[in-house]
Amino acid sequence: MDTLLTAEIAANAPRYRRKSSTFIDGIHDVPSEVGNLAPAQLYSTMSGRLFHSGRIAIVMVGLPARGKTHICVSMARYLSWLGVKTRIFHLGDYRRATVGQGGHVPQDYFYPNASPASVMLRQKILKKCREDIYGWLNHENGQVAIYDAVNPTASGRRALAKEFAKHDVQTLFIESFVDDQEILKENARNVKISSPDFHGMDPDEAAKRYLKRIETKIPVFETMAEEELNYVKMINAGQAFFYNNVSFNYLSHRIVFYLTNLHIKHRTTFFVRAGTATEEDSYKADAPLSAEGEAYAQVMAETLMRHREQERQAIIDQGGPDVPLRPLTIWTSTRLRTIQTAEPLEKLGYKVRHRSQMSQINPGVCEKLSERAIRNLYPEEVEKHELDPYHHRYPRAESYHDLAVRLEPIILELEREQNDLLIIAHESVLRVLYSYLMHCSTRDIPKLKFPRDEIIEIIPAAYQNEAKRIHIPGLDPRMIPGSPEDIRIPVPPGFDDFGKRLSPISIPAMMMGTPPSATEVTVGFATGDRKGSISVSNTGGLRSVSGSFSGGERPVTEKIVNNTAKEMVEDKVEDED
Amino acid sequence: MAPRTNGVGIRPEETRICVVMVGLPARGKSYIAQKAQRYLKWLSIPAATFNVGNYRRNDAPHPSADFFDTNNAEGERKRRAAAEAAVADMMKWFKSGGVVGILDATNSTKERRKWVLDRINQEGVDVIFVESKCDEEELIMANIRDVKTTSPDYQGQDPEQAALDFRNRIRNYEKVYKTINADGDEDHLTYLKIMNVGRQVIINRIQDYLQSRIVYYLMNLHIRPRSVWLSRHGESMLNLEGRIGGDADLSHRGEEYALKLPELVLESVGSDRPLTVWTSTLKRTIATARHLPKHYNQLQWKALDELDAGVCDGMTYQEIADMYPEDFQARDEDKYNYRYRGGESYRDVVIRLEPIIMELERSEDILIISHQAVIRCIYAYFMQKTQEESPWVPVPLHTLMKLTPRAYGTEVQIYKAEVKAVSTWRGKGSTAKHEDPKPEGGV
Repeated sequence: MDTLLTAEIAANAPRYRRKSSTFIDGIHDVPSEVGNLAPAQLYSTMSGRLFHSGRIAIVMVGLPARGKTHICVSMARYLSWLGVKTRIFHLGDYRRATVGQGGHVPQDYFYPNASPASVMLRQKILKKCREDIYGWLNHENGQVAIYDAVNPTASGRRALAKEFAKHDVQTLFIESFVDDQEILKENARNVKISSPDFHGMDPDEAAKRYLKRIETKIPVFETMAEEELNYVKMINAGQAFFYNNVSFNYLSHRIVFYLTNLHIKHRTTFFVRAGTATEEDSYKADAPLSAEGEAYAQVMAETLMRHREQERQAIIDQGGPDVPLRPLTIWTSTRLRTIQTAEPLEKLGYKVRHRSQMSQINPGVCEKLSERAIRNLYPEEVEKHELDPYHHRYPRAESYHDLAVRLEPIILELEREQNDLLIIAHESVLRVLYSYLMHCSTRDIPKLKFPRDEIIEIIPAAYQNEAKRIHIPGLDPRMIPGSPEDIRIPVPPGFDDFGKRLSPISIPAMMMGTPPSATEVTVGFATGDRKGSISVSNTGGLRSVSGSFSGGERPVTEKIVNNTAKEMVEDKVEDED
Repeated sequence: MAPRTNGVGIRPEETRICVVMVGLPARGKSYIAQKAQRYLKWLSIPAATFNVGNYRRNDAPHPSADFFDTNNAEGERKRRAAAEAAVADMMKWFKSGGVVGILDATNSTKERRKWVLDRINQEGVDVIFVESKCDEEELIMANIRDVKTTSPDYQGQDPEQAALDFRNRIRNYEKVYKTINADGDEDHLTYLKIMNVGRQVIINRIQDYLQSRIVYYLMNLHIRPRSVWLSRHGESMLNLEGRIGGDADLSHRGEEYALKLPELVLESVGSDRPLTVWTSTLKRTIATARHLPKHYNQLQWKALDELDAGVCDGMTYQEIADMYPEDFQARDEDKYNYRYRGGESYRDVVIRLEPIIMELERSEDILIISHQAVIRCIYAYFMQKTQEESPWVPVPLHTLMKLTPRAYGTEVQIYKAEVKAVSTWRGKGSTAKHEDPKPEGGV
């Protein structure tokens, strides 16, 4: 049943796909496993639902170019992170699937006095979408269905709430209302520019025409004022909120809190590791940077500065405006090595903030133990860990889940921040923050790789985020994969397509057999041969050990990992409901 | 040198906010102000409330309703002077390091709000107006009866007479009262307007994370009656040895407490309505909760685990004093901020408890079974204990505490299980394994 439904959604909504790489934002993926997508779930119940809140439909309201997709996607990202099973249902996907590739809906499709044929078509598309929503809520244990459509009339919204209530689903409407012409133009420019219809046109002119087209296509739109409905009206991209709260509900408060921190300004986030420290093996000792660590901090800072300048230049070269760089803020943990890694940038005058919540994962009893010792001392724990490396915690240790819960306030500040942001933290913290921005499965999080010779850049976009990796040249190869401050918590054997699934970051053959000083967190074992290769506790080339990954090319210069965000945006151009 | 904390909670740098309350009398402004102040202070964000009424009382201790008539020039002058004095004091307080100042007054006209905004912005402090607007007669009357008849303005007067006078005072305010942005010309203000106890809310132009946090907190407040029960785990094997931290099993007497707890809870709750039980993830709290009725929902929170003593985990205080004498001393000097090597400080624990407090505020009856330091932090939140006091509060084993939040403070009731246990309280400078708490203060 479940697989059938999933298959049908996949067939009707072409963008639902299974994740192929952690370097692609997974926000639109159909989860491949039940319950593995909740990094910071506060508590769980048998049904997988937060028991304070039943099943909820979040119904979007607003004309095109009001940033609905951005809001849907961000909300889904945050709610899933909190452990609420959330899925977005874009009505546009169903419309496209129904009219077929290259097909168009009739001209009067959105008119209140549409022809019977258009009404029939509309009903058919709506029905299909709603059936999928109910199917998902009733049979796949979903908790929040986000229904992304225009929903322009009060009568339509009342009927919708009534229909959902009949299915025992509470409704929360979220309207994005924009009357600020600047924001409208900006939204139209950002999303619609790549459409062939507007090719070669002055961007302002294209935006104006596009907005005009929306008006003719959807002539009637009533902003929300229904007293008996639960709704949040977000006015001019978060400048103001009106909140009509009929039934007290935790999730809606949480959503409003989240939305008050959301903004639509474009800014990027960079992730880097801290440099290596003098006392390498200890979590408890808060050791300062080693000489190599200091050198790393310097090179990293230079690379970042150069990269930002290059990107700015690239925009200018493509005919973009010559604007100054966005300001950059740096966050570190309160651990000495992260603070010291920020020092070269601090000297350049950048603002650095220290956040105690961003300390690395606590290894508990695993500190300073080799993997062999852990296996000898805690065989049962190792077994449990292998079943669920994300949620399992060794005695006295934190699990990744604990870490994610601890990082939750940071997530909100991350959304709030308007400057470009550089986060210098331990690999475990980067994994969790990265997983928020790129929506990784909890199965992948404990194994994400952040080698020291790369700066990860996350570029936000409405439909999905993009990740880029920037190479830091000239580092001592010994320090690149090494995580002296790391814990050697064993992770279970990989999957058959381990290397591919994880990320395109490859471990060069020369990294195999690095000196033991460069220790590595994620100690893998050969697939299907667990006992054989336990003691590989300290090489960066652990995936080479697994045999599924054979070195390969390491990007020498900056390399952009392609994903399909651009194509999707193009597809959105016609998405006008 | 002993490691010192350098975390500063959720406080963004260089932010200073003045929360300006707006609304007619008897709309719960002081309740909101008081809650917000408690929450912020607990998060180590320096916060203080400046109640204009208190300033006015210096000048006019028992004014009648006429005093508040806008046609009463003398009354008007005195009220303006009181507002000026309150704002001036707040500005002084900001200069000495204040971060969130709360101006508790009616601020019910546009002119007054404009004056407040200009006056405060001039000093480089951001303003967020928080208005409580309520038209439900019943709620207002209840508020008048409960709070205002005990107000210092009406001290020693007949309560009936006082309520009547107070109604008249409100009428005088109503004559000039304008809700924020009623005329559409206050759209530039940053404000939160809570209407009819949260039925509708307007949030306008939130400027930073701290403001959004305050708004979120205020939206989570509810006024339904409820209580929070706190208990430590039963006595553990390490408690017996006077060792800190660890993940030990219960002692024989600890088991006895676990068996007795359901009875104690029942006595305190007074009915069989179920509580939700929150424990830490450590064995001793889970074991302590395991005999509670099956229909109680139980949840484990990592955030409720004991303060992590880092390298000192599992040691006695004597061993710590021997091995890390500097640390031992540093901790006694500033116990709240001292962070164990590789471990946590009380300040760190408070930060990780923040989501728990938010959950607590929006939940109803909860029983928390946790550890000494964690309970101290939660207790400090409800009882407004300072950072100097809270790490030293005695929280004896085998004792159930019931906290009931009321409009102007929290009520505490103690239930002793009458099962003997060692004391784990330690006085400043002491390395004793088991020491009796000083008689003054505490629970």
